[in-house]
Amino acid sequence: MTGPSTPTKLGMNRGPSTPARGIGVDQRTLDLSGLNLTEKEDRSAIFEEAPKTRFARDKLLEEAKKVIDSEGTERKKEVSLVVIGHVDAGKSTLMGRMLYELGRLDEKTRLANERGSNKAGKSSFSWAWSLDGTTEERERGITMDIALQSMSTPHRHITILDAPGHKDFIPNMISGASQADCALLVVDAATGEFEAGFDRGGQTREHILLVRSLGVSQVVVAINKLDQVQWSKSRYDEICDFLRPFLVQSGFHPSKTRFVPVAAMQGVNLVSLDEDAAQELRQWYNGPTLADHLDQLDAPARDIYTPLRIPISNVFKGSTSGTAVSGRLCGGVVQVGERLRVLPGDETAAVKLIEVKDESVPWAAAGMNATLYLTSIDPVHLNIGNVLCPPTNLVPLATTFTARIIIFDIQIPITCGASIELFHHSRDVPATITNLVSTLDRASGSIIKKKPRVLTKGTSAEVQITLRTQSLSGPFVARPIPLESFSVNKDMGRILLRRGGETIGAGIVLEIFG
Amino acid sequence: MKLVGKFVDKHGAGHVSLRPEDDEDMWHLYNLIQKGDSVRAPAIRRVQKTSATGSIESQRIRLNLTLEVTNIEFSSFSAAAEQSSSTDPSGSNNSAALQIAGRVISENPHVKLGAFHTLDIEANRDVRIEKADGWDSIALSRVNEATVPGREQKLVQSTYDPRHSPDIVPIPRKAAASGSSQHEKALTKFYGTLYDAFIRHIPFGNVGLKAIVFASPGWVRDSVYDYVMQEAGRRGEKVLQRALKEKGVRIHISSPHVHSLVEVLKSPEIAAQLKETKFARRGITLDKFHKMLATDELRAWYGPDHVVLAADRGAIGTLLISDELFRASDPVTRKKYVALVESVQQKGGDAVIFSSMHESGQQLNQLSGIAAILTFPLDVEVVEAEEAGR
Repeated sequence: MTGPSTPTKLGMNRGPSTPARGIGVDQRTLDLSGLNLTEKEDRSAIFEEAPKTRFARDKLLEEAKKVIDSEGTERKKEVSLVVIGHVDAGKSTLMGRMLYELGRLDEKTRLANERGSNKAGKSSFSWAWSLDGTTEERERGITMDIALQSMSTPHRHITILDAPGHKDFIPNMISGASQADCALLVVDAATGEFEAGFDRGGQTREHILLVRSLGVSQVVVAINKLDQVQWSKSRYDEICDFLRPFLVQSGFHPSKTRFVPVAAMQGVNLVSLDEDAAQELRQWYNGPTLADHLDQLDAPARDIYTPLRIPISNVFKGSTSGTAVSGRLCGGVVQVGERLRVLPGDETAAVKLIEVKDESVPWAAAGMNATLYLTSIDPVHLNIGNVLCPPTNLVPLATTFTARIIIFDIQIPITCGASIELFHHSRDVPATITNLVSTLDRASGSIIKKKPRVLTKGTSAEVQITLRTQSLSGPFVARPIPLESFSVNKDMGRILLRRGGETIGAGIVLEIFG
Repeated sequence: MKLVGKFVDKHGAGHVSLRPEDDEDMWHLYNLIQKGDSVRAPAIRRVQKTSATGSIESQRIRLNLTLEVTNIEFSSFSAAAEQSSSTDPSGSNNSAALQIAGRVISENPHVKLGAFHTLDIEANRDVRIEKADGWDSIALSRVNEATVPGREQKLVQSTYDPRHSPDIVPIPRKAAASGSSQHEKALTKFYGTLYDAFIRHIPFGNVGLKAIVFASPGWVRDSVYDYVMQEAGRRGEKVLQRALKEKGVRIHISSPHVHSLVEVLKSPEIAAQLKETKFARRGITLDKFHKMLATDELRAWYGPDHVVLAADRGAIGTLLISDELFRASDPVTRKKYVALVESVQQKGGDAVIFSSMHESGQQLNQLSGIAAILTFPLDVEVVEAEEAGR
């Protein structure tokens, strides 16, 4: 195998696919500095073509490359956006209103939702109902799982992942965020509400760290509910000043963070600033609207030459036949007719149909959120969290591995043997930190102390993690999960650690021991 | 467990007869009996006789055998109990098995001296144990603890996880259009499966039952409780309905994994119910240790070497020790830990013995099985340097 990361670099250097690369700051230097994610680049390395397997495959890669290169010129660029923020900040309402303003939500559905929510005595949730579909979500007036939608602005095709804000549903939020390139942070400007969301125990802070650790490097901050503070400019500035240093500290480059004042319920400054409701805002703000900001998001580099990896985020029954799975491609290309291996497990499936943004397409490439209809497999073998890969190039399965992690702001330090929950894409499994290998210097990555007794907040460390068995009864050996080291595939090598309902750290996989 | 007879002199010599009754008792026995002890228990043995004509006659005979233990094995769950919901320390379904292997040391008309035998310890059959090197304080306290009447406070827990349980159907997430109804359909099916599992595994009719805990993140516990309640009403299960009303407790935990059971035991609702029981105390002690580690690292030590050093300096306030350490096959190691516990108790410290059968004990095992909260701060490195200097 040739170094799979090399083609990216080459592509980035000459490819017209990433025009934004030259402007602003190199995206690769923006990762969490403590993790030392930037690797020494070997620019002299020459990419060798993968051994020719099938003629069709070469052609497919060529075509995929051509189409991706044409993004931004002939076609709209594709980005996926996760909507994050504290519970009740108005994420779903904002997106519901946004979909309506951009014409994705028809008048009939809107009226139905309005009537329905009125009847339930929750008229303020009418916009959120377009994303919160299940009975339970509507009853409780809270998003519980990721809602997937798509919309388009003049220059971008945006896949929206509306994340739940409540702290109990962070596993779902992580699953959504791992499929996104950019984040839209919604904060509540109402007095006391912003502070509650930002303080310890609030989700604003945790969500920012989570998305950053999952490789999201651009964020648009929508300051919502400004109508509740009489469109006070000082309040808007206060919140911006508060968030800016924190975002920089979390690893977001200032040029990649944008702020915008909005009022979601009234639809002010979402797509236009012309309505009557926006009168007060117009007095001190005439910058770009939220839609304008979203229209400028950079599309990430698509690594189509790496082996195919699709972590499954949803499994459901297809409308015609077969089982549908959806997820984001973490590398490579997939075409109709291909056979894919489902890991963990011994099963393979054939791809019958591929859908991207509700349209049937002949192939899908890295970075796209696709729905695959699979045949010749029993649906019981397909579970959320499984990974699809080519039968010739399998994802390694891991129960024990080392990782470089960075510890967040935690109260109880991590000791050897701490029980944690390990998050990797849509999968969460119980695990144990079996060995504290060393603490590392955050900036240089050099070893400070070998075999530390405890890891306290803010430290960067190398640890060994072992999966635990899933239940008290049943087999006592832990089932392995598909995982790859960060140097092989970035998207497949990012992990998050949580304990007792709070995120305690994020990291990258270094080495897999099996 | 019932104490049938106890004849132990002040030097620790003597024997104890016990009658195990449930899984927890098997676990106690597993921890009591060590290599080298002699155990007398009823056994079934196949005896072969060769007659004068050379024909072989085989018979199964029930008899009492005394063994010198060479091996002891404990398996907590038999294959039949491998289901999604598990009864934690429950005695309802006896699924734990204890096997003791060794050489016969008492002559018997059917079995020769020195013949090998493996005893399957059964519930409600007496077992007599004689310790090879006397009964130490840990062993005796375990006998006491195991035989205290009214110990029968049990907690039945049903652990549940929609995505990992073998019983369970995958639930499609809500999606833009069609997904929504699929999600709901799958959810109903899931509740149905859960109800069946509940009926199958939880002895809700048992009067000795203290509480039925529904624990989950989010609101799943409420939905499940409501569903089970409704379904019980629909099917006319009066006993179940009453049990739920009286004993149903709903508790919020942060993750659907097994290790969150500790959170359940620490929650105020359960801690109040189980105030005096060991489970709650262990959970709280372990919690205290972690908190101490966070606030004053110099007063929370772990690892056998470090803890022994702290004990030498008389610094231990609370000793946390896992029963796994006492199970060491090497008697020297066991004696070392027994001496450690005794010395801590002598100096007025508190020793909490964790059971590896429970989640808190397993967490302590991960932390090397031994930890201590000190009464005054001591720097590990300084102490180690002092020791090296000696």
